[in-house]
Amino acid sequence: MAMNNQITRRALLRGAGSGLGSIAMTAMLAEQGYAGVRHDPNVARKPHHPPKAKSVIFLFMEGAPSHIDLFDPKPRLNELHGQPMPASFGRPITAMGTAGNTLMGSPREWKQHGKGGIWISELYPHIARHADKLAVLRSCQSDGLNHAGGVGQMNTGDILSGRPSLGAWVTYGLGTGNKNLPTFISMIDEREPFGNAKNWGAGFLPAVYQGTLFRQGPSPILNTKLGQGDTDERQRARLSYLAAQNRDYATLHEDDSNLEARLRSFELAYAMQKSGPEAVDLSQETEETRELYGLNQPETAVFGRNCLLGRRLVERGVRFVELYCGSGSGWDAHSKLENNHKKWCKASDRPVAALIEDLDRRGMLQDTLVIWGGEFGRTPFNEKGDGRDHNPWGFSMFFAGGGVRGGQTIGTTDEIGLRAVERPTHVHDIHSSILWLMGLDHLKLTYLHNGRAERPTKLGGEHMVKELWEG
Amino acid sequence: MSLAKSVFTVGLLVAPLFAEPYVFKPQQRRWWAIQPVKAIAPPALDEAGRKWARNEIDRFIYEKLKAKEIAPSAPASRQVFLRRVTLDLTGIPPTPAETQEYLNDTRPGADERMIDRLLASPRYGERWGRHWLDVVRYADSDGFKQDDTRPNMWRYRDWVIQSWNDDKPFDRFIREQIAADEIYPGDAKALPGLGYLRLFEDEFNQAHIRLRRLELLNDVTDNTAFAFMGVTLACARCHDHKFDPLLHRDYYRLQSFFSNMKIDDEATTASPAEVASYEARLAQYRAAAKPVLDKIDAFLAEPRAKYKKEYIERFPEEVQVVFHKAPAERTPMDWQIYHKAVTQVVVPDADIVAKKLDAAGKARYKQLLAELDGYQNLLPADLPRFQIMRDQAIASPPTHVLRAGALDADMEEVAPGNLSILDPEPAAVKPLPALNSSGRRAALANILADANNPLSTRVIVNRIWHYHFGRGIVPSTSDFGLMGERPTHPALLDWLTAQFTGPDGWSVKKLHRRILLSATYRQSSDFREDAAEADTDNKLLWRYPRRRLESDSIRDSMLAVSGLLDPTMGGPGVFPAVPAGTEIQEGRHWRKSRGPEDEYRSSVYIFARRLVRYPMLQSFDTPLAFESCGRRQETVTPDQALELMNGQAAAGFAHALAKRVANDSGQTPAALAERAFRLTMGRAPTAAEAGRASEFLSRQTALAGGAQGALEDLSLALLSSSEFLYID
Repeated sequence: MAMNNQITRRALLRGAGSGLGSIAMTAMLAEQGYAGVRHDPNVARKPHHPPKAKSVIFLFMEGAPSHIDLFDPKPRLNELHGQPMPASFGRPITAMGTAGNTLMGSPREWKQHGKGGIWISELYPHIARHADKLAVLRSCQSDGLNHAGGVGQMNTGDILSGRPSLGAWVTYGLGTGNKNLPTFISMIDEREPFGNAKNWGAGFLPAVYQGTLFRQGPSPILNTKLGQGDTDERQRARLSYLAAQNRDYATLHEDDSNLEARLRSFELAYAMQKSGPEAVDLSQETEETRELYGLNQPETAVFGRNCLLGRRLVERGVRFVELYCGSGSGWDAHSKLENNHKKWCKASDRPVAALIEDLDRRGMLQDTLVIWGGEFGRTPFNEKGDGRDHNPWGFSMFFAGGGVRGGQTIGTTDEIGLRAVERPTHVHDIHSSILWLMGLDHLKLTYLHNGRAERPTKLGGEHMVKELWEG
Repeated sequence: MSLAKSVFTVGLLVAPLFAEPYVFKPQQRRWWAIQPVKAIAPPALDEAGRKWARNEIDRFIYEKLKAKEIAPSAPASRQVFLRRVTLDLTGIPPTPAETQEYLNDTRPGADERMIDRLLASPRYGERWGRHWLDVVRYADSDGFKQDDTRPNMWRYRDWVIQSWNDDKPFDRFIREQIAADEIYPGDAKALPGLGYLRLFEDEFNQAHIRLRRLELLNDVTDNTAFAFMGVTLACARCHDHKFDPLLHRDYYRLQSFFSNMKIDDEATTASPAEVASYEARLAQYRAAAKPVLDKIDAFLAEPRAKYKKEYIERFPEEVQVVFHKAPAERTPMDWQIYHKAVTQVVVPDADIVAKKLDAAGKARYKQLLAELDGYQNLLPADLPRFQIMRDQAIASPPTHVLRAGALDADMEEVAPGNLSILDPEPAAVKPLPALNSSGRRAALANILADANNPLSTRVIVNRIWHYHFGRGIVPSTSDFGLMGERPTHPALLDWLTAQFTGPDGWSVKKLHRRILLSATYRQSSDFREDAAEADTDNKLLWRYPRRRLESDSIRDSMLAVSGLLDPTMGGPGVFPAVPAGTEIQEGRHWRKSRGPEDEYRSSVYIFARRLVRYPMLQSFDTPLAFESCGRRQETVTPDQALELMNGQAAAGFAHALAKRVANDSGQTPAALAERAFRLTMGRAPTAAEAGRASEFLSRQTALAGGAQGALEDLSLALLSSSEFLYID
C-alpha cells in the first residue's frame, strides 16, 4: 500500500508537471491516513452526504444575550418577580453566586410573528419580519460557567483549550470552496473575543486548518500589503527569481512533495494579495444595500459592515464565516441589562435582518446557514438588581437558511427559563447538526490524535436537532 | 490518616476501599514497551557493512537494510554534514569562518572536535531546551479569559536551557521537575525545576473551585503521562484504556501523587541569610513608613473587608464554609479549596481601589501612595521569585477513581502508584515532616527516574533520536501504546537506552555524540529510486531524511546570517514588534518593542502568551501550549509565504543581510551574490546560480530604486528559499 502511494505520487508529480498535482495527491493520501503526510486545505473534498448548506455564517453574540428577553417569554417568571426562586427549580452554582437572589421578570413586549407564530420581543423588530425563515431552538445547553469556557465550548466543543474550532473541522472535512481566500474567516467588531485565537484555532489539527482573523481596513489578511517602497512589478521580479531558485532545489529533490507545495504556496499568496482587498471593497455595493445593512447609522455601521462582508465572502466561496457582535463580552449584562441589551440589539437587529434578506433575494440563503447565538443565556434571578448572571442550563439560538425549515420553535425551558426541559440540546448536538447540514457526519469526521480518533463532538453530539431540516 | 477518615465519610456501602487487583491477560503483558530494556549485542556485519559502519548504531541499521536488500547511502559531503550538524544542535547555520575551519581541519578527530564545539555552544541549550519546552507545554501566561502573565515563569525556561547546556544527567532533570523540594531541599539550582508542575492552563476567577482543581490535576496528570511515560493515560480518565493495558484506576493513582499540591508563586532561591537580610530591610522600611502605611490601612480597611466579603459570597456554599472554618478544623481537601480560592479574595490593593473606590477615593489613594515616595529608597529590591507547585502539608486529601471522569462521581479510593501493569502495589511514599511535605512526588520522581523503568528511559532516548532524524524509532514519540506506532528498530532503541542509563550515566550529550558520529546520520539525503521502492517512507533510514527547520530555527537562522542575533541568554520574555491588526494588541497582550533588545534575541526567549503566539512563529507551526507536543507539524501554507514576502520581520532581516553583504564584499554583482550565498547557504553559488543572481541584481536595480534595494531583494529571496529553510 505504502509503496503504491509513493509510486503514484512520483508518477503524478511527473505527469502533472506542476505543484497542483502534488497538492491533490497529498490530500488524497491524507484521507487514507498515510503517516507523515502534508495536509492541504486548498482543495475541495467530498462531503459524507449531500450537503444542504455550502456555507455557514455564525453570528456570535458574545457575552451571552438574555434568551428570556428575546426569544423565550416567561409569564410565570413575571408573576414570581421579586420572590426567591422556588427550590423546585434546583439551585445551580453560578459564576457570581447569585442563585439566592430574587427572580427578575422581563419587561418586554412580546408578539408572535409570521405564520409560524414565533415569539420575538420588541428588541428585535427587523429580525422579527423574517420570523418564517427562522427556526428558534430554545433548549440549548452548555458546560461553560464562565465566558472563556462558554465561548470556547461554543467554538471548539470544550471549555478547556486545545481542541479544534468548528470552522477548522469544517475546513478539515471539506477543504476549500474558493481559490484565493481562506476557507474559514472570523471578524470582530470590538475587542478580541474571550479566548482570542483559540476560537478560530486548529487545536490539535494541523495549523493549515485554522481560521483567519480578518482585519478592519483595506488589507484584511495579514501580510498582504506590500512593504514600504515595494511595488507589484518589483515583487513579481523577486518572486520569479525565488521561484527559479526553489525550482532548482525541488528538481534536485523531486521526491519531496513539500518542496513543490512551497512553490505553489507563493503563487497562492501572491493571488491573496489581490483577492483580500477585492473582497472587502464595498465600493461595488449599491447605496440601497448600504442602507439596508445600516452602514449609514453609527449604531449599526460596524456590525452592518461585517454582515455585508459576510455575504461577500460567502459569495466568493468562503465556507465558514464567524461574525462577533459585542466581541470581548459586549452582551454580558450583569447589571443594567436594559441599557446593555438595547444597545446590542440595536447594533445587531438591522444588520442581521439585512443579511437574511440580502442572502434570500440573491438566492443564496438556501445554501447558506445563518446561525445566531451566544455562549449561553442569562439567569431568571437578578444580579445587582437590574442585571442577570450567566445561564448555561437553558438558552436560545436561531438558525436560518441552509436547508433549515423556518417558522418553527424547538425545545422548551422550564417556567422561569432557567433550565432546558423539553429536548435539551447540548453544544455538541448543535455542532453535529451544523456539520450534518454541511454534509458532514460528526462520527466520521475524525482525526487520530494521541491514540484516539478524535471527533468534533468529543463523546456527544448524538442527539442532532433533526427538526431543523426534517418535516 | 486520611484513609480512616474517608472510610467514614464515603461509607463502605458505596464503594469498596480498594478494588480487587486487576488480572492482566498474558497478551496484555506482552506489550513491547513494558518489557525490560535488553542489553542486546549489536549485530555482526558483513564486509560491505564493515566498510560503511562507523559505530554500533550503524550495525543495527545495516542489519535491517540488508534484510530488505537496500544499501545505505553514501555519506553527505563534509560541507553538508557540517551544516546539518550545526542546524541540528544549535538551530542556526555555520558561519563561513566555521565552515572554512572545519573543511581545513583534516586531522583525525575533526568531526569529534566540531561536534564538541557545537555541544558546548550556549545555542545548544536554547535549541534543545526548546524541544523540551514543547513537551511540557511551556507558556508565560495563564490562558483562559484573562490570560494573565506569569511574571516569573521564565525562570523555569532558563533552568531548562541551563540544564541542557550543563548536560545535567536526565534522571536528575526528571527528579528536579517532579520533586526538587522533596529530594534536594535547599538546593537553589534544583528548585526552579518545579516550575514544570506549574505549567497547566488556569482560570484565576473560576467560582467552582473543586472543578477547577480537578481540571488542573487532570492537566498535570495527562502531561506527566505523555512527557515522561509516553502513554496516552488521558484515555483512562473515564474508563480502562480501550487499547492499552492502562486501568481507569491508574489514572487516579498517578493523579494522587499531585493531589496535595498548591501554587507557590513566592518561592525563592535566596539563601536563608539573604532572606533574613531582605526581611530585616523590609521591616526597617515598614517602621520608617509606618505613619503613611497606617493611613493607607485605615483608608482601605473598609473596602478591603467589603471586597473580601463580597468575593467570598460569590463562591458556592461549599467554598464559603471552608473560609468560615477555623484553620485547625480544615481537612486537607478544605485546604486545597482554600489555597485555590484565597487568591480571588485577598488581592492587591490596586485591584480593590480599581473596583471599589470612586474617583475621589482613587485620587485620595494616589495621594497616599505619593506620600510613600519618600521612603522608596528604603524598600529592598524583591528577591528572585519562582512560580512553582509544592505540597500544602504532609497529609493529602483522598483521591478517588471518578466514574466517567466526573467530579463527585467517586468510585474506590486509590493510593499513589505506578501503572498497575508495571507495579500494582501502592508506591513507597515516605512522608517528610521536616519539610511539611507528603513525600508523594519524591516517590513518583524515583519511579520515573529509575533506570529499570521500561517506559521513561526509552521515551527520552527515542525523543532525542526523533529530533535528530525528524522521526523517532517510535514515530509516535508520546504514545508507546498500541494506537501509537511500533518501533522500527526495537533492538537499537534498547541498546541505546541501555548505554544511556548505564555507561553514559544519563548523559544526553553522550547520546548526541553516538548518533551524530554514526554513518547512519552522515548519509546523504539524496533520493534513490531503488531504495524507495523497497522502503517508501525511509523507515529503515537508507538516507538522511531532509526536513524543514522548526519555526524558532527559521527565525534564528535569519537573525544569525544577517548578523543581528543577540547572544544574550535568559531573562524575562521579549516582545518583538507585531504587525497591527493581528490577534495581538500592543498594550493588552504585548509590550511595545524596546528596539534591538526585543527584536534580535533567540526565538526561545519570545514571550509565550498562551492564547496568542508571535505571528511569525505561529505560522511556521510553533505548537499551542495547551497540551504536550512531542512532534511538531510541518505545514506548507500561503500564510508562510506572505510572512516571507511582506512581513516586517523578514524585511528587516533582509535589510540587515544586504548591508552585511555590501559591507564585506566587493561591489560587483558576482561578488555580492557569492557573499550572499556563502552567508545563507554555507556554500558558493554554482555557475548557473551566480549568473542568475548577478543578472537579477542588475535588472532589479531599476525596479528597487537602486543597488541597495536590489541587494535587499536578493537577500529576502535567499532567506525565503527552500534550501535555506531545510536541513539537508
